[in-house]
Amino acid sequence: MESTSNVQVDEEARETGKWSQQIQRIIDENRGKAGTLIRVLEQVQGLVGYLSPPVLKIISRGLKVQLSEIYGIVSFYHFFTMVPRGKYTIQVCMGTACYVRGGKAVLDALCKGFGIGAGETTPDLKFSLETVRCLGCCALAPVVAIDGKVYRWMTPTKIMNVLSLYE
Amino acid sequence: MKQINSIEDLIRAKEEAKRKTAERDRKIQVKVHMGTCGIASGANEIWDVFSREIEARKLHGIILSRVGCIGLCGHEPTVTVIHPEKGKAIYVDVTVDKVPKIMEQHIIGGNVIKEWVMEEDEPFFKLQGKRVLANQDVDARDIEEYIARDGYQALAKALTQMKPEEVLEEVGKSGLRGRGGAGFPTGTKWGFVHSAPGDEKFVVCNGDEGDPGAYMDRTVLEGNPYAVIEGMAIGAYAIGNVRQGYTYVRAEYPLAIETLSHAIDQAREYGLLGKGILGTEFEFDLDIFPGAGAFVCGEETALLFSLQGMRGNPRQRPPFPANKGLFEKPTTLNNVETWANIPGIILKGADWFSSIGTETAKGAKTFCLVGKVNNTGLIEVPMGISVGEVIFDIGGGIPNGKKFKSLQIGGPSGGCLSVEHLNVPIDYEHMTGLGAIMGSGGLIVMDEDSCMVDMAKFFLQFSKDESCGKCTPCRVGIPKMLEIIERISQGEGKMEDLDTLEELASMVAEASLCGLGQTAPNPILTTLRYFRDEYEAHIIDKRCPAAVCQALLKAPCQNTCPVGLDCFGYAALIKEGKFDEAFRLIKQKLPFPMVVGRVCHHPCEAKCRRAQVDEPVAIRHLKRFAADWALEHNIEYIPEIKEKREEKVAIIGSGPAGLAAAWDLAIYGYQVTVFEALPEAGGMLAVGIPEYRLPKDILKKEVEDVRKLGVEIKLNTRIGDVTSLLREGYKAVFIAIGAHEGARMGIPGEDLEDVYEAIEFLREVNLGREVKVGKKVAVIGGGNTAVDSARVALRNGAEEVYVFYRREKKDMPAIEEEVESLEEEGVQLHCLTTPTKILGDNGRVSGLELVRIELREFDRSGRRMPYTIEGSEYKVDVDMVIEAIGQRPDTSLIKDGGLKIARGGTIVADPRTLATEQRGIFAGGDAVTGAATVIEAIAAGQRAASSIRRWLQGKELLPLIERDGYEPITISSTPPTEEETQEKARVKILEVEPAERVASFREIVSGYSPEEAMEEARRCLRCDLEV
Repeated sequence: MESTSNVQVDEEARETGKWSQQIQRIIDENRGKAGTLIRVLEQVQGLVGYLSPPVLKIISRGLKVQLSEIYGIVSFYHFFTMVPRGKYTIQVCMGTACYVRGGKAVLDALCKGFGIGAGETTPDLKFSLETVRCLGCCALAPVVAIDGKVYRWMTPTKIMNVLSLYE
Repeated sequence: MKQINSIEDLIRAKEEAKRKTAERDRKIQVKVHMGTCGIASGANEIWDVFSREIEARKLHGIILSRVGCIGLCGHEPTVTVIHPEKGKAIYVDVTVDKVPKIMEQHIIGGNVIKEWVMEEDEPFFKLQGKRVLANQDVDARDIEEYIARDGYQALAKALTQMKPEEVLEEVGKSGLRGRGGAGFPTGTKWGFVHSAPGDEKFVVCNGDEGDPGAYMDRTVLEGNPYAVIEGMAIGAYAIGNVRQGYTYVRAEYPLAIETLSHAIDQAREYGLLGKGILGTEFEFDLDIFPGAGAFVCGEETALLFSLQGMRGNPRQRPPFPANKGLFEKPTTLNNVETWANIPGIILKGADWFSSIGTETAKGAKTFCLVGKVNNTGLIEVPMGISVGEVIFDIGGGIPNGKKFKSLQIGGPSGGCLSVEHLNVPIDYEHMTGLGAIMGSGGLIVMDEDSCMVDMAKFFLQFSKDESCGKCTPCRVGIPKMLEIIERISQGEGKMEDLDTLEELASMVAEASLCGLGQTAPNPILTTLRYFRDEYEAHIIDKRCPAAVCQALLKAPCQNTCPVGLDCFGYAALIKEGKFDEAFRLIKQKLPFPMVVGRVCHHPCEAKCRRAQVDEPVAIRHLKRFAADWALEHNIEYIPEIKEKREEKVAIIGSGPAGLAAAWDLAIYGYQVTVFEALPEAGGMLAVGIPEYRLPKDILKKEVEDVRKLGVEIKLNTRIGDVTSLLREGYKAVFIAIGAHEGARMGIPGEDLEDVYEAIEFLREVNLGREVKVGKKVAVIGGGNTAVDSARVALRNGAEEVYVFYRREKKDMPAIEEEVESLEEEGVQLHCLTTPTKILGDNGRVSGLELVRIELREFDRSGRRMPYTIEGSEYKVDVDMVIEAIGQRPDTSLIKDGGLKIARGGTIVADPRTLATEQRGIFAGGDAVTGAATVIEAIAAGQRAASSIRRWLQGKELLPLIERDGYEPITISSTPPTEEETQEKARVKILEVEPAERVASFREIVSGYSPEEAMEEARRCLRCDLEV
């Protein structure tokens, strides 16, 4: 778990206050279904953008599940993040086909260009850089998805051109 | 939309749906294929443009629709146009600007634009057998399309005409095996669940498809979701006591989740899910659970835990989910494709299903063919199709003329197959027999630019990331294996590491709790088994042959050059106008730059990264420029001889290998004598390669440089017995006799006059002797010798020259540029043919009888084997035949088992030390490898010199070449500018026009001017600076 400063904790608590109603609604909608916890976590992350500790506390109270158990789920599945994502999420596919066709060079170019590593967010919170294991578009390898939009046949040069489209 | 509450309703719905589709089929249809890849490639924009065009032209009778993906992934966007009279055309690589033309010419004009379509009789389509993917060409969001094509008829049949046990029996009889990878018989699994005690049971669909490189299930869910729903309903009925089913779909597939969700909603609206389906007592509903990004959740028990909202840690089995599964109830978990196959089995019968496939693997299988292959895409083929058919026939082979290296099958749990497996049928048992698994269907093709050590590392990294951590063998064993492989790829591996790796791999495979750990070692084990030489290269030679492992190389060009030239170095110096230094940089590593700059087959250029921008840098031309410039300006580079030594070394053969060895040994002060049987020095450089490629005076100049080091070259001196040299006081002997003996075809008529063996023919011409060349000359063969012979014949009076080669043009071993020149000069190349008889008249050649060839299964070189086609003989009029079908060394100097000779007639020597069995005798070059290349021979000579030096000093021989004493030459470390990395074609080199060439033996290719050389040198991307 990333350590956060006190200022950030307070801010997060204030922020999450405004989400609690919607979170409760999500909990209610999914009650009684198989695997409720995971469904709730996914939908809440879709809503808030990330699963901060205050948000997890709300879910814990709402579902009557121990926070430690929730942490166990969040830390197990790649999809969940407890730190804020950037405005745009860049997913570089590191599946086999993308790797074989030069995906690593694209990832390296992005890491170098932003000065961050995979799994991190740019200091200005504009871009989050992630690797993903296969988006299933292998014929378009190497593939990069930005906020779900898939870009095909990427190279270190082309990805830079694509990024300039994102304000 | 009417509710379907009975069989009669269904029949009516089908008739209605069919009526609608028939009506639609009377109109012109434009179907834009919209899978995830299509959309990513711009299919939505294409649809928009078609929509606007149709609107603008007021062609309201045309039906424009969005349909599923037909698997031509590498050619998206694709559009199928169906004309009621003119038939179907599949447009590929559609761009926005092509749309108006398609509208004009085809849709309105009725003429298919042939250059833009892929024909249905192309192997890509023809070799497939679509079942699960048969509905990809309709709208997956419309249940009525599915109903029109017999959708839900299977469920109806099961519910009303079959007992649950009969359904089970039919599925069992079909031989359907799980399509997720493990291949467990579906009918058997269902039987277990059926027999398990309990009144609440579940059917679950595994849509986690975590294998990177596999997206078949995604495509089925996006294009045929109703088949999955129907299949699960049938399964629920067969097993009994199943009222609820779940599909677990990974979150990385938002479109699949959305499409399936829509399909489920529609099915409910129509009454095909829920209570009282089709008017029976059967009730069944379906829910979607989105995965959350964990590969291990593709494992049965982990998936079921995840479905219950828990961490996806697998557990021990027994108990099996068939008895204790979801919520501890009896459950069957099957793969998406398995479920999608069920309706077909019930409707058309088990016999129909098993009518294709092999003994043990029935039916068809979807595969994703991706990676380094021309036709990347999604295919469905009968089980048992061979690896080679998939890659070369359906896949269209490897792009850019690269060589096939490996097929990875089965994802991270699978294995890497090699060129020796091209004829192996793809089915469960054959794959496990090779140490792989069939897996879910991801097939990744790799070529010579992939490093197998790196790939094994890649898969291990994946498995390590995805390991759930529960059991020690997987959690600790995999990272340990990864550590070892990391060290190997950094050049710090030892041979013992390979044994450790295998031991660890076996342990992890045997002791891991679940399939992830049990199969994670497969990529390691298969690469060790089939690509051991690559591991050894990394460990012993500290080299990555594919030029991937960065720690082992500065730049791919240097890494690939057998001599290890600093190509980027002399490019950088030339760029700055420092031609003198460029020449010295080259010459100190390569004694024959003028020769090599003209005749090398430039493997460096094949790996040059500039090719990813436009074309490779003209490394060979640059090298030639530097050397020619030095000659013009009388600049020499003769190294100083280090301390003089007494020992005498004998070298047999003055070809590139012999002379390179002589050069190195002379520098170190040894007394070197080169024995050459022919009247001229140079080996194949003198008597093989024709003058228009390599002028004699150029060769003589570089041979003279060797003499300047004090090397004695004795011409016209044939050695009869190699051991005699040792007796005469030579302390070491290097046999570099090349491969100058030509193979004969062994066909009738070879004894006629005017039948030549190519090596002999070229030698006679090169030595200036009189050779009578006919008017119509036939050359047999496809290598450089054949090409050289043909072009020499043309220059020596032949009016027509034919080259007959038994395989296809792309299989010819000759350098590509040479083949191009051959055809430019007017030589006729005939492929897929071989001679059977040479016809004679009065003892002289009058013609050639040939027979046509067809290519069938693959051989170990990855090429198809030629078979004669009976009855296809034909004759050609010729008056001279030159046979250029193979070369071997003349080993008569090795008496009576003195040295081992291999089966092909080559001398046996250690590949790294070049030592033979006899102490003091070394061998290298073509004499050991068979006919190869100039630069490899030079490298062999340098290797031999290194070994001989150690031998003479009484030291142990090493696998690595020791060659030092280089003068330091500073190379700029300024990377190329932005402008220099922009697209710019190679500077063209001046060549004599083809029509003029054949008039003489004048050199065809002239060199760069200084300005041209500097311009070309600016294209080098300085890959060495990246590291």
